[in-house]
Amino acid sequence: MIRYAARRFGAALVTAWVASMVAFVLFWTIPNVDPAFWLGGGLKGTNETRAIATEKYGLDDPLPVQYVRLMKSILNGEIECFYSCGSLRATFVQALPVTISLVVGAGLIAVGLGVFLALICVRHRGRWQDRLITSAAAAAYSVPSLVLAALLWAFLSYKWRLFPEEGYVGLRDSPWGWAKHLCLPWIASALPFAGAYVQVVRASLLDAVDQDWVRTARAKGLPEKKVIRRHVLRNGLIPPVNIWGLDFSHAFGGFVLYVEVIFGLPGVGGLTANTLGTFDLPPIVALAVYLAIVVVFFSAVVDVIVAWLDPRLRQPRPST
Amino acid sequence: MFGSLFAVIVLAVLAAPLYASQVAHTTPSENHLTDRTVVDGERTDIVSLEGIPIGPTWRGSYLLGADENGRDLAVRLLYGARTSLLIGGGAVLLTLLLAVPLGLAAGYLGGRTDTLISRLLDLLWSFPALLLGVLLSTAISHSGAQIGPVTISSGSKLIPVVVIGLVYVPYMTRPLRGQVMALRGQPFVEAARAAGMRPARLMASELLPHLLTTIVVVSTLLFVNAVVLEAALTFLGAGVNPPEPSLGVLIAAGLNDVVLSPHLLLAPSIALVFIVLSLNGVAEGVRRALDPRGTVNFDLVRGR
Repeated sequence: MIRYAARRFGAALVTAWVASMVAFVLFWTIPNVDPAFWLGGGLKGTNETRAIATEKYGLDDPLPVQYVRLMKSILNGEIECFYSCGSLRATFVQALPVTISLVVGAGLIAVGLGVFLALICVRHRGRWQDRLITSAAAAAYSVPSLVLAALLWAFLSYKWRLFPEEGYVGLRDSPWGWAKHLCLPWIASALPFAGAYVQVVRASLLDAVDQDWVRTARAKGLPEKKVIRRHVLRNGLIPPVNIWGLDFSHAFGGFVLYVEVIFGLPGVGGLTANTLGTFDLPPIVALAVYLAIVVVFFSAVVDVIVAWLDPRLRQPRPST
Repeated sequence: MFGSLFAVIVLAVLAAPLYASQVAHTTPSENHLTDRTVVDGERTDIVSLEGIPIGPTWRGSYLLGADENGRDLAVRLLYGARTSLLIGGGAVLLTLLLAVPLGLAAGYLGGRTDTLISRLLDLLWSFPALLLGVLLSTAISHSGAQIGPVTISSGSKLIPVVVIGLVYVPYMTRPLRGQVMALRGQPFVEAARAAGMRPARLMASELLPHLLTTIVVVSTLLFVNAVVLEAALTFLGAGVNPPEPSLGVLIAAGLNDVVLSPHLLLAPSIALVFIVLSLNGVAEGVRRALDPRGTVNFDLVRGR
C-alpha cells in the first residue's frame, strides 16, 4: 500500500514537472508570440518598453536558463510582474481553502444525491419513481453549471437578495456565514454532476443487483437493508469511484473558474480567471503551474484512497 | 422527440442568415440606440432615455427584446447559437482528424508507438479540459499563431475551434485505442496481415469500419460538451470575442443587468439548455441504436 502511494505520488510529481515545461513552452515559444512584445505592454508598448522588458526578465538568455529562473521564482512565490503583484504564492495559498470548500462540498452533494436517488431507482426499478428520477437526472445533466450559476446568482443573490452577492466567510469564523456564501455555488456546481452520477450509479447498481451473490444473500435470509448495504452497494459503487476521482481532481481547473467568478468567491479559480485577462505572462504561468500541482496532487490522493478502499484497483488505471 | 427538437434547432439556427434579416429588419450587430418601434399601437423607444432596453415584444422585430445598444436579441441569439454550433462541430471534426489516426496507430502498432501516444495523451487527460482550453486560448489569442501552413489571427473564431479540438483528442483516442487492441487479435485482422496487407491500408479498410459506432457516439457526446465548453471559454474571455455574438458572449453580457432587463440573461441561458438537452437526447438515442448492449464504456467521455 505504501509502495503504491509512493509510486502514485512520484508519478504525480513527474506529471506536474512536465506540465510546468509545457506551460513555459506554450507562453514563451509559441509561434508569433514574442514575450518581450507581450511583457512590454503588448500593442500599447513601445520599443523602449520592450527593451526594458527584455532587460528586466533576461529574455536574451537561452530558454533553459529562463525556464529554470522562472520556475525558481514560481516555487519561491516571488514572481516579477510587469505590473504589480505581491507574493502570488501566498495569495494562492490563501485562496485555496475557498476553492477546496467549494469543490469538496459540491462533490459530497453530487455523490450523495447521486447514490441516494440511484438507490431509490433500483428499489423501484421500472416503476414511476424510477422513470421520474431518471428523467429528472437527464434534465439536470443538461443544465450546464455555467447557466445554473448565472441564473442562481442573478436572481437569488443579485435581484432578490436572498443570498450574499459576493465574498466568502471562513468556516472557523462563522459556519453559518460559510454555508450561506457557498450554498448557491454548491448547488450550481453539483446538480449537473449529480444528474450524471444518478445515471452511472443506477446502471452499475442494477448490474450488481443481478449478481449471484446477491441472490445467495437473500436466500440465506439476510434482511433487505443488509443485502443492499453489504452486497449491492459495496460492489456496485466500484465503477463510479473512478469517475468521481477524475471529476474531483478536474474540478480544480474546471467549473471553479467560472463559478467563482460569477459568485465573487475569492478562490483560486477566480484568481486565475482574473489574472488571465491581464496578459501578464509570469503570473499566468505561475498560476498554471500552481493549479497543475493542485490537480495532480488531488488526483493522486483520490487514487490512493480508492486503492486503500479496494485493493483490486491498485494496478495502474485500466485504459478504457 | 429529442431528435426532432434538435433538428428544429439546427435548422432554425443554421438558416438564420436566410430569414432573420427579413423578419426582424436588422442584423446581429446593428445598433438602434435612437430608434423607436411600435408596441401595442404605441411608439416606444428601443432604448429608453435611462438606457434601459425594451423587453420582449413577441412580434417580428425585437421578438425577445433588445440589448443596451438597441441590437435585436432574437437575431443575436440565432447568430450566436449558429456560431456556437459551428464551433462545436468544427472542434469535433478536428478531434476526429487527429484522434482516429492516433487511436489506430496506438492500438494496432502497439509497442513504443503506443507508449509514446498513450503517455502524451494521459498527460493531457490528467488536466481538466477547461483549464487547458483557457491557457491555450490565452496563449494563441493575444497575437495569433501559425500552425504549419495555417495562420490564425488573433480574435479569429478559429481559435476556440482549434483549442477545443486539441483538448478533446484524448477523450476520443482512449476508447478507440482500447477497441483496436481488442480487434487486433481477431482472425480477420490476422488474415489480412497474412495476405500481405500494409499496416496503413489494414487500419483504414479492415479496422476503421469496426470503429464507426464508437466514433459516432463519442462524437455526439463531445459535440454537446464542446458547445458548453465554448460558452465557458467565452465567458472567461478566452473564446469568441464580444461584438461577435455566441452563446457564451450573450450569457456573459446578460449577467450585467439582471434587475432591469432579465431577458438578456434568460434568453441565451434557456437557448443553451435547450441545445444541450436536445443534443444529450440525440447522443443517448445514437448510443442505444448503435451500441444496444453497451459494449463500449462512454462514462469517462466528459471534458467540460
